[in-house]
Amino acid sequence: MNPLLEIVDLAVSFRTSNGLIRAVDGVSFSIAEREILGIVGESGSGKSLTVLAILDLIGDPNAVVTGSIRFRGIELIGQKPETLRRLRGGAIAMIFQDPMTALTPVFTIGAQISEQIRIHTDLSRHAAQARAVELLDAVGLPDPHRAAARYPQELSGGQRQRAVIAMALSCNPALLLADEPTTALDVTVQAQILELIRKLRDDFNSAVILITHNLGVVAETADRVAVMYSGRIVETADTGALFADPHHPYTWGLLGSMPALDGIRRPRLTTIPGLPPALDRRPQGCAFSPRCGFVRPECLPAPPCLTGTMHQAACVIADHERAAARNQVLAA
Amino acid sequence: MSTPLLTIDRLSKTYTTGSGLTRAGKSLIRAVDDVSFTIADGETLGLVGESGCGKSTLGRCVTRLLDVSSGRITLAGTDITRQRGAALRATRADLQMIFQDPYASLNPRRRVRDIVAEPLIVHRRGNRATVSDSVRRLIADVGLRPEHLDRFPHEFSGGQRQRVGIARALALAPRLIVADEPVSALDVSVQAQIINLLTDLKRDRGIAMLFIAHDLGVVRQIADRVAVMYLGHIVEIGATEQILAAAAHPYTEALISAVPVADPARAKQRHRIVLAGDPPSPANPPSGCPFHPRCRYATDICKTAMPALREMADGRSVACHHPVGIDQAA
Repeated sequence: MNPLLEIVDLAVSFRTSNGLIRAVDGVSFSIAEREILGIVGESGSGKSLTVLAILDLIGDPNAVVTGSIRFRGIELIGQKPETLRRLRGGAIAMIFQDPMTALTPVFTIGAQISEQIRIHTDLSRHAAQARAVELLDAVGLPDPHRAAARYPQELSGGQRQRAVIAMALSCNPALLLADEPTTALDVTVQAQILELIRKLRDDFNSAVILITHNLGVVAETADRVAVMYSGRIVETADTGALFADPHHPYTWGLLGSMPALDGIRRPRLTTIPGLPPALDRRPQGCAFSPRCGFVRPECLPAPPCLTGTMHQAACVIADHERAAARNQVLAA
Repeated sequence: MSTPLLTIDRLSKTYTTGSGLTRAGKSLIRAVDDVSFTIADGETLGLVGESGCGKSTLGRCVTRLLDVSSGRITLAGTDITRQRGAALRATRADLQMIFQDPYASLNPRRRVRDIVAEPLIVHRRGNRATVSDSVRRLIADVGLRPEHLDRFPHEFSGGQRQRVGIARALALAPRLIVADEPVSALDVSVQAQIINLLTDLKRDRGIAMLFIAHDLGVVRQIADRVAVMYLGHIVEIGATEQILAAAAHPYTEALISAVPVADPARAKQRHRIVLAGDPPSPANPPSGCPFHPRCRYATDICKTAMPALREMADGRSVACHHPVGIDQAA
């Protein structure tokens, strides 16, 4: 089966006075219909830019996007604005971290959702309104009729995120791009929204790309995970495999940095020394090498490529050395 | 030592807000409602709860950045509730604060050297030479290098700025630090560095801390005891490990179960309690127990009577008519 979305060697660069800076550097992945892919990374890893590039939403005149992004076989890079406009909010929808900035305060929730429906379908104003109420009901807003008549600022943060998800679902998207959708929410509300995102696959047949910095969120939501560091994917695997046997030292560092809720309380958390490199001062070889305890000569001339079949990692540590190296990091 | 370092006794903070120019249009918001707890010397109390529960307001009342509406704050035997002027300034030497946003809490026009020295100068601790020595030592203690002294805040990453804020809070060797979400604006790997730094500081210097956070994992890593707030009330307070191992308040139970776990195998075994709805507005709190509309154990009594915070046989205190897993006879 052909993948729903296939990205090959995507690079996003910015023209600056110091030359071209690569923020996303050779990212390739694909996503199948109804699949949930989690992209994990810290600030500046390029995870948001990767997803914004899909819909040509980077919106910076100095950005240069190269590579290939194929959605159902159609190349999106360099595509006509009209085609992209039809896709946005139609077959590919997006939700953002802050639901308040994704909604305008001067129209009701119902009006904003039905506007989008009318742009993408030929439903009448009345039918679109009714559909908006149905969607608000489907995403679990209590009293959807009243909610549709309300303005965004009259809803709580969790309700607003539900409204934005309802809007994103209005045209039955095949692919939903969710950029840190729960980061601004409280943990009990986050649990509600993640459950909703998992349900979308069953109710709307949508595939989801979920961007987050929280490994717990991907562990509980995604089918497959890609870990990004300094503009590249450094590890990708099925969620179960990635957490059972993480391959990349950066992934180990991320896991060790997270305080656990149960098990033995470690006296100190594992930390990753230093900071991610500035984009214009990235080392020539593996971008993680200045912070890695296992650097070898072969890490330094060029960044290692992703190797492996189902479970891929961009690291030179061999399979038989991995467990010992990992214990060294996580037991420290 | 028998007397606690900090005693909060029935503290309340109310605001009047509302639309309309008339008094009828105004409403009373109880941001913090009749809260009592203590912190012992060298102890860290974690204060957890979701947005709007009043945890930050409580922290700001404790540091006297906000005036309380009623109740009493006692620090090391001195009533500081209504202190002003010189007396309050003297108290602040013992009572410092670390803020959430390391971008907003450092003056962008001053160098790190001056930011960290300021508390020492305001409190007239030492002369120019000793202040300069102290600043160098503080900067080293928080893991920054001497060459950082002459830089401005914008030249630092979020984690490094938070280190500067911590150095400033340590300058006067306070007995209590109120830390309001000190790591929640940071990336995970940087967050771990700052948590380790705070853990070391509290161990080496014996500073007590009121550590405000919404992340239970972070609180577990650093706090000896934890207090859970909901809608202005403390609903459960006790030893961290005890509460996280088995919550007694249904809200604590739901809060713990909502935290996503980075282990798919274990996540599948966990029992997730998804709370319905959102926390109610403090302007219009429910009758009886504030949690009853979202509580799966609620009965009629919960709708009418506000449960008091009672000490259980195992030492923790819970404000619930039907505490989870605790024998009522105990």
